[in-house]
Amino acid sequence: IVVFSTHAKEADAQGVLDKRIELSAKRVTIKQMIASLENQSGAHFIYSSSAIKADRKIKTADLYGDLSDVLNQVFRPLGIGYKIENEKVLLFSVFQDITIAGKVTDAANNGPIVGAAVKVKGTDRGTSTNDDGQFSLTVQPKEVVEVSYVGYVPQEFVVDNNQHVYEIALQPSLSTLDEVVVTGYSAQRVKDLTGSVAVVSIKDLKQQPAASPIEALQGKATGVQIINDGAPGATPQIRIRGFSTINNNDPLYVIDGMPYEGKLGWLNANDIESMQVLKDASAASIYGARANNGVVIITTRKGQKGAPKITFDAYYGTQSPQRNRFPEFLNPQQFAEYVYQRFKNTGDPAQAPGMSETTGTNYGSDPDNPVLPDYLLAGTTTGHNITEADADPAKYNYAMDPAQFYQITRANKTGTNWFDAITQNAPMQNYQLSILGGGENSTYAISGGAFKQEGTYKYTGFERYTIRSNTTFSFLDDRVTIGENMQYSHTRGNGFGVNVNRAGDYQGEGSPIGWAYRIQTIVPVYDIMGNFAGTRGDKMGNADNPLSVLYRAKDNSNNSGQFFGSTFADIKLAKGLSFRTTFGLRYENYHSKSIGYPNPERSEGSFTNNTLQEPQGYNSEWTWTNTATYKNVFNDAHDLTLLVGTEAVESNWHETRGYGNDFFIAGDLNYYYLNTAATTRAESEGSEGSLFSIFGRADYAFKDRYLVSATLRRDGSSAFGPDNRYGLFPAASVAWRLSSENFMATAAWMDDLKLRAGYGTTGNQRIPTFQYLRRYASGVNQSFYPIAGGNDLSSGLWTNNYDNPSVKWEELKSINVGLDFTLFNRTIDGAIDWFDRRTSGVLYPVPQPSAAVGTGSSPFVNSGDIKNAGFEVSLNYHYFSPSGDDDAFQFDAGVFFSRYTNDIVELAPSVTEQPYLTLRGVTTSVLKAGAPLGAFYGYQVAGIYQDDADIANSASYENARIGGFKFADISGPDGTPDGVIDGNDRTVIGNPHPDFIYSVSLGASYKRFDINMFFNGSQGNELFDLTRQYTDFYAFPGAVSTRTLNAWSPSNPNSMMPSPHAKAPTIEYQSSSYYVQDGSFFRMRNLQLGYTLPADRMFQGKVSNLRVYASVTNLFTVTGYSGMDPEVSQYSSDFTAPGVDMGVYPVPRQYLLGLSVTF
Amino acid sequence: CSEDFLNRSPQGQLTDEQVSNTKAVEWMLIGAYGLMNGNRDGTWGNYASAPSQWVFGEVAADNAHKGSELADQAVLFDIEMHNTIPVNEHLSAMWNNYYEGITRCNATLRQLKVVQESTDGEKFSAERAAEIEAEAKMLRGHYYFFLWRVFRNIPYIDETVATADAPTVPNNVDVLPMIEADFQFAVQNLSDAKPLGDAGRVDQIAAKSYLGKVYLYQKKHAEALVLFKEVIAARPALESLPFLNNFDVNTENGPESIFAAQHAINPDGGGDNANVGDMLGGLYGSAPANCCGFFNPSFDLVNSFRVTALGLPMLDDSYRNNPYKSDYGLSGDAKANYQVDKTLAVDPRLDYTVGRRGVPYHDWGVMPGDGWLRDPAFGGPFVGYKHMIDQADFPGNTQSGGVNYVTSLNVNIIRLADVYLMAAECAAETGDLDYALARVNNVRVRAAKIPLKTVGGANTAAYNVKPYLAFANKEYALDAIRFERRLELALEGHRFFDLVRWGIAKEALESYSAFEGGIISAYSGLDFAEKNNYFPIPQDQIDRSGGALIQNDGY
Repeated sequence: IVVFSTHAKEADAQGVLDKRIELSAKRVTIKQMIASLENQSGAHFIYSSSAIKADRKIKTADLYGDLSDVLNQVFRPLGIGYKIENEKVLLFSVFQDITIAGKVTDAANNGPIVGAAVKVKGTDRGTSTNDDGQFSLTVQPKEVVEVSYVGYVPQEFVVDNNQHVYEIALQPSLSTLDEVVVTGYSAQRVKDLTGSVAVVSIKDLKQQPAASPIEALQGKATGVQIINDGAPGATPQIRIRGFSTINNNDPLYVIDGMPYEGKLGWLNANDIESMQVLKDASAASIYGARANNGVVIITTRKGQKGAPKITFDAYYGTQSPQRNRFPEFLNPQQFAEYVYQRFKNTGDPAQAPGMSETTGTNYGSDPDNPVLPDYLLAGTTTGHNITEADADPAKYNYAMDPAQFYQITRANKTGTNWFDAITQNAPMQNYQLSILGGGENSTYAISGGAFKQEGTYKYTGFERYTIRSNTTFSFLDDRVTIGENMQYSHTRGNGFGVNVNRAGDYQGEGSPIGWAYRIQTIVPVYDIMGNFAGTRGDKMGNADNPLSVLYRAKDNSNNSGQFFGSTFADIKLAKGLSFRTTFGLRYENYHSKSIGYPNPERSEGSFTNNTLQEPQGYNSEWTWTNTATYKNVFNDAHDLTLLVGTEAVESNWHETRGYGNDFFIAGDLNYYYLNTAATTRAESEGSEGSLFSIFGRADYAFKDRYLVSATLRRDGSSAFGPDNRYGLFPAASVAWRLSSENFMATAAWMDDLKLRAGYGTTGNQRIPTFQYLRRYASGVNQSFYPIAGGNDLSSGLWTNNYDNPSVKWEELKSINVGLDFTLFNRTIDGAIDWFDRRTSGVLYPVPQPSAAVGTGSSPFVNSGDIKNAGFEVSLNYHYFSPSGDDDAFQFDAGVFFSRYTNDIVELAPSVTEQPYLTLRGVTTSVLKAGAPLGAFYGYQVAGIYQDDADIANSASYENARIGGFKFADISGPDGTPDGVIDGNDRTVIGNPHPDFIYSVSLGASYKRFDINMFFNGSQGNELFDLTRQYTDFYAFPGAVSTRTLNAWSPSNPNSMMPSPHAKAPTIEYQSSSYYVQDGSFFRMRNLQLGYTLPADRMFQGKVSNLRVYASVTNLFTVTGYSGMDPEVSQYSSDFTAPGVDMGVYPVPRQYLLGLSVTF
Repeated sequence: CSEDFLNRSPQGQLTDEQVSNTKAVEWMLIGAYGLMNGNRDGTWGNYASAPSQWVFGEVAADNAHKGSELADQAVLFDIEMHNTIPVNEHLSAMWNNYYEGITRCNATLRQLKVVQESTDGEKFSAERAAEIEAEAKMLRGHYYFFLWRVFRNIPYIDETVATADAPTVPNNVDVLPMIEADFQFAVQNLSDAKPLGDAGRVDQIAAKSYLGKVYLYQKKHAEALVLFKEVIAARPALESLPFLNNFDVNTENGPESIFAAQHAINPDGGGDNANVGDMLGGLYGSAPANCCGFFNPSFDLVNSFRVTALGLPMLDDSYRNNPYKSDYGLSGDAKANYQVDKTLAVDPRLDYTVGRRGVPYHDWGVMPGDGWLRDPAFGGPFVGYKHMIDQADFPGNTQSGGVNYVTSLNVNIIRLADVYLMAAECAAETGDLDYALARVNNVRVRAAKIPLKTVGGANTAAYNVKPYLAFANKEYALDAIRFERRLELALEGHRFFDLVRWGIAKEALESYSAFEGGIISAYSGLDFAEKNNYFPIPQDQIDRSGGALIQNDGY
């Protein structure tokens, strides 16, 4: 006999169940049977007739035994259970629904989980938890209940019919598969994605304190290449899967649903919840015309229901320039010897060193041994000519009148380290206060942040202040939700060239960094009276004192105030059908000021120039998006989502610039207004554009197993002429979850395995508008002329923009095949993607011959096809302790690998090989079919001419010399080598694209400690070190690299560096493979050590979380590159010449201490 | 969403529709004139395209050094030493700016046609229409001529060539006939009166002078002489016109000025419409207008002003014997106490062409030597004179911010003395030595009227300039005329092109190099090949043309 209920026995205090019963076989109703039993046993039965269906007739055999035996034999098969309560026998149906109640909490912090799904497995019965994490649900015993919530590991339990209350603690999920992410006007579970989408969560973002959220993306997503630069507040360069165009390769950002093109220096990384990078066309093409470079979707932090959670984050630290990577220059004595050697090598006695014509007054008259002077300048006397009387400080006169000016400058015989002089250890700090919470029908997230970073180059800095508010309100039984996401940010760049919107001002020959390459080390920073010393002197070149440039720009500022926000309403119209409208607005008002001062110490300096420049302008853009979404599941198997929408965008830019010169006093900021200048000038400029789009999307899933997605977008853009105004961008993708197939059921180690494939088309329209129209302009400087003969100017017109009536969309077709996997009980996950992206009709303003367009702007043409193909692998390992204990050792490791190859497949018939980016006659890069975009271009160094015979027997050029470059004879006018080195011999000499980029992240925690390490690298890319033009070839009489110590000489015949030579032909420093170097690097980007204090105990529950951490960025770099930093961001974002180093702002090392406290 | 939402208009720019009217054509014509100053805009960088042609016309010849320091603008030194390679940025400056001028002329002509042929709207009178066409063609002729002199083989694009077809136009056609045709049209359709009364416009005299000049370059001496005589007849006698008026902001556009680039300081003090192409030649150091210390006159030029006892130039090059070197090469006390040699017999034009130590320079004071020089050991001890203005004229005539070397001084492209000497040359070539002698002597007599430079009441040199008594024969006449061109027009951008058209550039420059290099060795070893008669086509233009442009032989 099966004991049906042990509980019943225990409760049988009065022995009711032991009463003897005797019944003969008969056919009776249950009710009659109960009456008989009551009669014989004397026990009282309680039951619900309907529950046990008491009117049923049953047929029994003869029965003898205890009451319990009889109950078990008769009622159990009928599904009727019994219980003794208060000496009464309670009868009930064992199939009766029971109501269970419970609470779902976060295992990590015991906080309630609001909105967790509680569902009876295999049925559609379910509920979700309330604001306190509580639920109640009617179930039957033995049923399996599943509790799940995004971001947590789901849990199941079996209903015990005797247990009515359940406490469920969900473990946070280490897998992101269940996360719901925004992927273009709708949200999807990560596991349902069919395109190539990299998801980066806030947890990853916070590991790297960074000015810009983009910096934090580095190494978090495969296929995303981030190139940092060290300028304060700078937004790094981001490239997704290579370079799809010659223009601006920046991705489209979609911030809380609102598209944004530009830099992100104004956005606080702490405000970000997650970022998704849509890498392939099938994912991105819903954004159509603007998606060619990929789309980065940014979701800011939202409130959660519950009590206010107040968090304060702060870090403070210092940045130090990587001094060990400063260029090394000859000291003054070595420099003097170098200069001597330049003349000696001419072999011309008339050009011997030691004469005023050759080496000047600085090194004396001994033709063999230069002697450093005591003074460089005293009035107009220079070098060794300066007598003690000349150098009498009494004569010193720092008057801003060339006739009176008398400066006395001592020679710095040990040499000035200019890079030391202009750099500093600079503080960096960030503070953020946020309040997150919500009530029954609303959520809110409010934050304020302040960030301040000084530059490692002196007198530069960046500040940012942000206020953000994200709220939602729901009413009419949650049928309507309205909300807003808004941010106001104020940014301010101080000092030379600090502009978050543009890399490059601080690069190039006219920047302080450029000057530091171009000024001789014998020049001291200051003269004898503490004013700036400079190149005024004999044969000192024309460099500006780099510190003076920084100092005099110290009051320059770029201020920007930007409102960026959107408001939305989401209406549930019917079951599964919802409508959403979003209106977003961006309004940026900016103002900058730059002041020019006299620089009399410079050889080409000015005594009177005192200028003020005040640009002021605004950017405004509104976006109105409307979408209707229908989502339903049919027959438990067919999951369908349909979306249609429209989007309208209008943008305006306007800038007014005022210029003033000659102020009553110089240097008083309070006095600098344009009307106080002696002369003023004003300009203004503007642009406007609009975009209107219709789009649709369908996502279908069959039993979570087969996923299909299709999108279609039609964009109309004001950028194009009426004939080419509209572009159609379709895409489709499929995915197959193999792990859900029965034949994989035996592979229990496989948690999830999904194969994806997608194909789609995207577009690019990011070119200046009106390329289809010829345009004329009138400008005082460009087209006016004093036709009447006096000083009055008459107005004129000129053609400033030429037209290409047939300009049309740039199109990118991309195919992507990928595999997502999660293995071994979620300990290993990753993805592999292969892609092939082809841009056709690449838009580029192919420079037309001046004979056709003069100096007017050449129109953009659809110039050719570019291919980027490659693959990406990401692999993560998670170790979590079997105990599930928080304090136990946890470990995560991730490896990311990305590779692409870039090729210009063909150029349009109207475009031939097109060299570009020219500085001082050195043209670095080329657009050429068969070569990668931005390939380096120039002469291939074949060696150094060893002797006259070598010159005679080799291809050469005019004035070729012993010790000069021997270039490879690639071609002649007819396509074959002709023994002459000229323009026909230029060839591709390097590839700026890496073979692959990679990153490794390691994270571990134990008890209250956590540690994170992040490494990244680039392999096989080449860099063009254009600074060598100054330092290795003496293109200006500036600093000379110590590399020249190994220059060619008869006794050092194997050197590949030309000997110094005063009459070296200028062809020697044209673009050549000498400039090109391997730019591979491996960098320890970040190390962070954290400790979470036992805040509960310490602060009696008033503080829920308190973590302190210390971090170091750029701890070490392994590279063979000789420039200051192997991370070389390109000069201008809309002119792609990657890898050309004109003197980048190197990334500093940062040491930070941080604190995060939640109340 | 309607189509209107996507229809936008360019901001701050005009479209074809808006420029199809008479006002626009007049404005486009002003724009076409706008390149006369050799730059579209911007101050730095437009050196080689300066209307003064100091780079190609003077530095590339025997008159001047590029100056500054050797390694500063080494590519200018390449031009000076005739080692120019096709990527030299100064080639591009020349090419781009002058083609910009040409495209503006073509655009004016095209829009003129549109306006005149349209069925509605206001039209020009036939006279004004012809005049506009003549002005535009004259300017186009000028721009092409300047390009031709420097590059020789250039693509010719006129208003009938669509912009889309222009890139493929080759540079294998002799463009002089087209240049000639433009000037002929201008001669036929312009009058003696300046169009619209504007002093800065071209007139028939300018057209005749320029056409004559183009004839002269083609050795069509007889045709040229007819034109030059008409020009001379139409203007006051040269002797009545002060030499210095040519280089004075207060006397611009006077009777001697025939074709000039008009320069002005912008109302806001900007220099983009001023003579920015000459700015590198701003002096240096403690000079009142100090910039960069480029453009130093050569020893050879300075000594060529030396005269014989008869007040005549030393046509046999004997001026190179025992040359005058100012304080060059001196040191210590010898240098400190240097006094200018007041007994040096020179043409008085010297001290209005060259600044040299001990001689008053404009109203700036006595030129102090090194104090105004960047690197005298390399560039020599002299500075240019004609491109700087008096200190008294700085207010209102110089760029604001103390940029006193960017001025509103016009630059004459053709002035009457040039026409006199071209006429003399044509006459000599065609056998009329008397006429030639008379014209040369007009120039020399006028030179004798220049106020002499003095310090403390004493002349700073033994100034002497006398007319020739006779030209013994054609060869002597030509030598004298050529020498006179050098002296009269020194540093005005003619010299190199004259040497080339005379076919003597090689011998002149190589012998110059031997002489000049004997003093400053940097200038020795100049090797002048046939190809050096002109310069290479800019490499970027060849690259852009897709094979339509062929590099000049030898480059």
